Amino acid sequence: MICEDVKNEVIVDRVTKKFSKGKVDDGFEALSNISFTIEKNEFVTIVGRSGCGKSTMLNIIAGLLSPTEGKVLINGKPVTEPGSDRGMVFQNSGLFPWLTVEGNIEFGPKNKGMAKIERQKLSKELIGLVNLEGCEKKYPRELSGGMQQRVAIARALAMDPQILLMDEPFGALDQLTRESMQSELLRIWESCKKTVIFVTHSIMEAIYLSDRIIVFSSNPGRVRKEFKINIHRPRQKSSVNVMKYYEEIYEAIN
Amino acid sequence: MRRLIKNKKINLSENIIKIGTVVVIIIVLELLSRVGLLSPYKMPSPTQILIAIREVISVGFPKGVTILLHLKATVLRIIQGYLLAAVIGIPAGLLIGRSYILDRISTPVITFARSVATISLLPLFIAWFGITEISRILLISYGCLWVILTNTIQGVKQIDINYINAGKVLGANKRQMFFKVLLPAALPRIFIGLRVAVGVAFMVIVAVEMIGTVVGLGALIQQSRFYYSIDITVAGMILIGIFGLFLSVILERIERFILPWAFSLEEVER
Repeated sequence: MICEDVKNEVIVDRVTKKFSKGKVDDGFEALSNISFTIEKNEFVTIVGRSGCGKSTMLNIIAGLLSPTEGKVLINGKPVTEPGSDRGMVFQNSGLFPWLTVEGNIEFGPKNKGMAKIERQKLSKELIGLVNLEGCEKKYPRELSGGMQQRVAIARALAMDPQILLMDEPFGALDQLTRESMQSELLRIWESCKKTVIFVTHSIMEAIYLSDRIIVFSSNPGRVRKEFKINIHRPRQKSSVNVMKYYEEIYEAIN
Repeated sequence: MRRLIKNKKINLSENIIKIGTVVVIIIVLELLSRVGLLSPYKMPSPTQILIAIREVISVGFPKGVTILLHLKATVLRIIQGYLLAAVIGIPAGLLIGRSYILDRISTPVITFARSVATISLLPLFIAWFGITEISRILLISYGCLWVILTNTIQGVKQIDINYINAGKVLGANKRQMFFKVLLPAALPRIFIGLRVAVGVAFMVIVAVEMIGTVVGLGALIQQSRFYYSIDITVAGMILIGIFGLFLSVILERIERFILPWAFSLEEVER
């Protein structure tokens, strides 16, 4: 197969994003000349201060925003709109409050026209994967923040995307829930082998999760440095290796 | 579970207070009338009102036009006018709320039209449509339309961008986006408009029925004025109040049925 020599699944090629204010084009530059690549099944995290354009970058990869200059290629094809090859998890879950857990998970497959029996089978499987058995008929408001994010992950996986985009998915959770969600995410990632592009401003979260970390600088957003995290999983957050990375990344950000 | 019982107790004592207040008011009014402090021509006693209500139910007022006929006429007018306003207001609101240009164009028009008191349009409507059912129904529609329209527009404009983005990422096409994301997301706000519109419909109906008809709850009140039957006036007021309350309860039931998710938290905490 030809595809097999395409090692880089995602190619971000000199992307610049300016936001225009009204008609005047003296817009604020959120991203400036960003280039990086991501391999298949890699877990990559973009880290940076708030306002460094990391969420904007993710939205461009998702196809929700279009770059002012440059392009994003997925398996060699330029991104113009959202597609089922990319799933997304939003910061505040973005779950539809009017649908039950099941309804949310089946939303995507239903849009695609998947038959009801298949859909139910799929949602049952995913609810099992994210450990939410018994919550099928509940509404998002009846769930805790951590449970909501599990549903959001299951909903994104229901489209069977090859790439999972996660925009500060655990940002609104308390510390303990956040940590258990991190290991949960690694378990899910290892069991279904997806490419993950994760955005966070927590350096520790990035080190704990990622194969590779891309550090963004702010105003405008630029790639400052990349780090390959060569520590075996599961990683100990208090270990010497982790602390060493932490200091290096902390320095890169500041 | 304990919380449930505790809350039931609270509900019970709350109900006792609610009903108690009404009972006290009735007793005080009755006593004031009996002692002669309240003139029967200015404020009828509760017993008189009760007799008047019985009269409206059995004999009818004017004779032959019983409560059922009054109710039927008013209900029909309200339902037709209200539904017409909803049928126009909700789709138009969804459309305007989604379009920046339409919103900018329509805002001054809507603000102007909303500021015109519905009743002041009565002469105009009579000139256009005569003293007919059409005039009455359209006037109710006019009153309800703006409330429903503005709330629907706001409902659409306030939709969390995350829902729209999630819809896009999950492959919703335009139709799916409209019916499965935008509409349900705007529904709670749409229902607020629908609820306020019930009140508006009642304000308009009474005034509208005061002209050119003897049938309808508003007409009942107007006729009683001609006969100096103030007891019938108050009886009519009470009947309208009860009917309005009844409609609000029905609307809330419908809302709970259509939007169970908007109530789920309350239900859980209860």
